[in-house]
Amino acid sequence: MNWLAYCPVPSTWCRALIAVLVVAIGLSAGEFVTDASAASHGAEQQIASVGSDEVTDESTSLRPAARPKRSDYPSIGVSSRGVVWAIAQLHLFFGALVLAVPIFVLVIELIGFKTNDDRYDDMAHEFMKVSLTAYAITALFGGALALSLFLLYPDFMIYMTRVFESQLLIYAVLFFLESMLLYIYYYGWNALRYGNRKWVHLTLGLLLNAVGTTLLVVANSWSTFMMAPSGVDPATGAVTGNIWEIMKGPLWNPLNLHRFLANIAFGGAVVGAYAAFKFLAAQTPAEKAHYDWMGYTSNFTAILAFLPLPFAGYWMMAEVYAYSQQMGILAMGGILAWLFVIQAVLICTILLAGNYYLWTGMARTEGSARYRWLIKYIAVVLVVGFLVWVTPHNVIYSASEIARLGGGNHPVLGPLGIMPAKNIAVFLMLIFTFLSFQLYRRADKVITVSWQHWGNTLMIAIYIVASANVIFAGVYYGYFTNTVYKVGSSVIQVGSTAVVIVSGVVIDTLMFKGAKTLRVSWGKVPDRAQYALFALPVAFTWLMALMGYIRSSVRTHWHVYAVMKDNSPDNFIPTLQTVGNMVTLVTLLFLIFLLFIFWIANLSGTKQVPLATDGKPAPAESAA
Amino acid sequence: MSLDTRKATVRWILVLAVTLAFFYGLDHFIMSAQGLPLNWDMTPGN
Repeated sequence: MNWLAYCPVPSTWCRALIAVLVVAIGLSAGEFVTDASAASHGAEQQIASVGSDEVTDESTSLRPAARPKRSDYPSIGVSSRGVVWAIAQLHLFFGALVLAVPIFVLVIELIGFKTNDDRYDDMAHEFMKVSLTAYAITALFGGALALSLFLLYPDFMIYMTRVFESQLLIYAVLFFLESMLLYIYYYGWNALRYGNRKWVHLTLGLLLNAVGTTLLVVANSWSTFMMAPSGVDPATGAVTGNIWEIMKGPLWNPLNLHRFLANIAFGGAVVGAYAAFKFLAAQTPAEKAHYDWMGYTSNFTAILAFLPLPFAGYWMMAEVYAYSQQMGILAMGGILAWLFVIQAVLICTILLAGNYYLWTGMARTEGSARYRWLIKYIAVVLVVGFLVWVTPHNVIYSASEIARLGGGNHPVLGPLGIMPAKNIAVFLMLIFTFLSFQLYRRADKVITVSWQHWGNTLMIAIYIVASANVIFAGVYYGYFTNTVYKVGSSVIQVGSTAVVIVSGVVIDTLMFKGAKTLRVSWGKVPDRAQYALFALPVAFTWLMALMGYIRSSVRTHWHVYAVMKDNSPDNFIPTLQTVGNMVTLVTLLFLIFLLFIFWIANLSGTKQVPLATDGKPAPAESAA
Repeated sequence: MSLDTRKATVRWILVLAVTLAFFYGLDHFIMSAQGLPLNWDMTPGN
């Protein structure tokens, strides 16, 4: 029986889909084989090395990590660390963008399909255009990173290759699959747009995201192995476990979650800047409306993914402390702690820009007049929170300054420099950012459910009690109890914030049933709102570069923490000035590349008007 | 006091009481789950 005849889409597509599935299943099977072979690898090595000069007894039969000397590191006249730092960071920026955008594109495409609204589909397709243009640059930086690592850190790369062995080939195959699926997904958009064919397209999008997320977690395992190695002998670095034991180190899943969320927030911010760029250049009201809506969706995605990010960050740092207290203290209490003050400035910039965009966006609907009076109070909470968060604890004073202050800390502002005060500030800022979101979502609706008074009262009560709980937990346990309760109480603050967000979504979803929707005038938003959209990717990029440096730097003078020592000329924590310069340099480089991507994406939609009959150039170009 | 005001006051008292009870229970649950029990008056149990 020719079952392909029953397939709702052309048989070519059915065969292509089946081929993709077969390859995916084959790969999964291959991975299991790899695990098994890795488990027996140690024994094979032992057998192979019998008779070798290096083998003296059974305990040294496993190959230890190399102990490279200073002379083993090639010199190219500039800092090797600086070269790898810049290339790795740029690769990570673009990697984050191309892996994240398809995730929310798939969701938007599904919404468009379920609501039969072509606008969603067009917007999702345009988002993918930005991602596709960035893909080639991601691959170029990935190749450059691999080459520079093998050139500048050969012993380290030989060790990493031996540890991860055939997993690297699986990574390469996944990369090929990602490329194939990405191109089919983008270029097949219009060919698979309606009816059952749309399901094929959505399936391709799902496969693309599955492969992309697998690529992410595989690459994450390399980073977390360097920070907290597992599956190897701690004394020698010899591989003792299988690939699964090597991958699932203590920091792997915290980093997976943190990067997954951060990538979505970053991707949303970048495509938001693209929408702002197009909005400001738009010539017609229809174009302005389209790009205004696109910018709003991008900002919504970025901030929504950003809100739970501090929770993932807390988990990550808790695991870092659990793995090595020394590592945790270096990050948050030593020289690197100063960078967390800059982190505070950047996160507050993101929150202020995101909130400001929502407030100005309320001008799109008349229904927002009911809530505008609240904006000034939200702004006060955000600004006070910002000031508390950036208050440093240990400032280096001169003797006369200490005498004038009456001690090492300011008598009034001193208590604001420690974590309990900052925790209160952070969580209140998150709660009030969610309030901005909720007000924006309610602005174009007139709620009609019979229990609306109860629902509104409950929501207000949750905001009041949750905020009071955050302040109580921070002040009482933070300043008046022991350290264990102080640390434990931050989970109360996390829980309170989570309750506000979850209950806000649930209550609104139930209350919006049967609600009357007011008209939203897309495109009628002030130009200054677009500059808030530009501020978001700048702050996100800077933040990623900064925090990525901190995460990597806690290894100090180790390539692989406590297993393989770094003896290169750069095996020290650089000065804060150097860090600031490097982080700023890679941020600027990324932004320049991003402008190039926007220009290319815009160019593909530009058509030249045919030449006039007299052979003179056309008077103008038209954007499609 | 009008009927509407009385209804609104009762609603507020009820909802605030329920919300306070919920967060009180949440704080006890979260701290106990970490091995840090609280007394009834929220002072540290250990």
